[in-house]
Amino acid sequence: MIHLEQFQVIRDGKSICEVQHLDIAAGERIAILGVNGAGKTTLLRALAGLESGYRGQLRIECPLASRTYVHQQPLLFRGTVRSNVAYGLKSMSAFHWLGKLGLAELAERDANTLSGGERRRVALARALATGPKLLLLDEPLAELDEMAAGLVSETLHDLADTTIVTVSPTPLPDGFPVDRQIELTHNEGKKSAAGR
Amino acid sequence: MNLVWQGLREAFHLIVSGDPLVLSAAWRSVWISTTAVAIAAILGLPLGVLLARKQFAGQATLVLLARVAMALPTVFVGMLCYAMFSRRGPLGPLELLYSPWGIVAGELLLALPIVIGLTHGAIKSLDPRVGETAFTLGASPWKRGLTYLSEARTGVLLAIMTAFARCVTELGIAMIVGGNLKDRTRTLATATALETGRGEFARGLAMSSILLLVALGAFFITTRLTREKN
Repeated sequence: MIHLEQFQVIRDGKSICEVQHLDIAAGERIAILGVNGAGKTTLLRALAGLESGYRGQLRIECPLASRTYVHQQPLLFRGTVRSNVAYGLKSMSAFHWLGKLGLAELAERDANTLSGGERRRVALARALATGPKLLLLDEPLAELDEMAAGLVSETLHDLADTTIVTVSPTPLPDGFPVDRQIELTHNEGKKSAAGR
Repeated sequence: MNLVWQGLREAFHLIVSGDPLVLSAAWRSVWISTTAVAIAAILGLPLGVLLARKQFAGQATLVLLARVAMALPTVFVGMLCYAMFSRRGPLGPLELLYSPWGIVAGELLLALPIVIGLTHGAIKSLDPRVGETAFTLGASPWKRGLTYLSEARTGVLLAIMTAFARCVTELGIAMIVGGNLKDRTRTLATATALETGRGEFARGLAMSSILLLVALGAFFITTRLTREKN
């Protein structure tokens, strides 16, 4: 589904993300780990179609309309939690996704009064409501307590046909859906991969 | 100071007694400015979004033009419209000179750059994640545009109300294009100028006080609409 070859993003004359070779199959759940500044977010943004200035080959067999990216610091639109989740709704109902992520009682709350962890879950519910074929998650468990992290992992587990690419600076906890884990390293221009 | 009190008392009396001349001038001022600003909003909001979010040749020049045009003197716009609408002008056959619609056209020229310029600024200062989030959630360009306007609604409403305040209080266009004709093109601003010119200072002050009420009403509506929830 995704193929990268000699992929490089250069900004201000400096390489900020390099991947020699990476293939991700449809339906695969992959975790990309790496230290801060390794280029994880840049890679995810490129997969989402948000980075145009890159070199090398990037081929994604998934239309832009079926890819959804959740920012490291998600932004919620003005309005209620429900209106946010309903924004790009294509799959199930807003309440279905809010319920899955333990947010049903927050449906009518002003989205900008939520805590960091709640905002993250609302952003994920909003992304899932679009019924993505490719889900790109930037540190989805940051700021989440154990229970919320469990709900997120469980919800992602249930997505049978969705390819999930997750980036994180630290290994993801047991229970989070990961078929394969790779590490992105900085400056050396190489990516090493290790199964899990 | 006595004259000011006398003017304010007369303004109160004119409003309470429902003076037909005052009411018609007030109504004309409001509908002319509202129409001009409504058309400016329909044209200017999409243009402001486009200039803030799309890259194309001449974009910077257009933004600069809109900003410069925000400071257009009303007498200049009035003279420009006069030249266009006069019998020998290119738009002469439309017979807009000395008509309320001529003033609407002139005020549209005044309001449009304000709506474009301030909307552009409001959208440009939005968090870049607004556009990215809408894009990755599959929003169409039209829906993304509406999202920008909704997220920047405080700035957008201020743009519209600033344009309205400039139009409803302007004198140059109404005087030059409208001609201050009784029961046809007289607005509160031209009525104020007329009364003051005739030496009826108190009545002039009364007219301008009513104009102030209209402007304060617009300010009150803006404040209500842009009030943020905590």
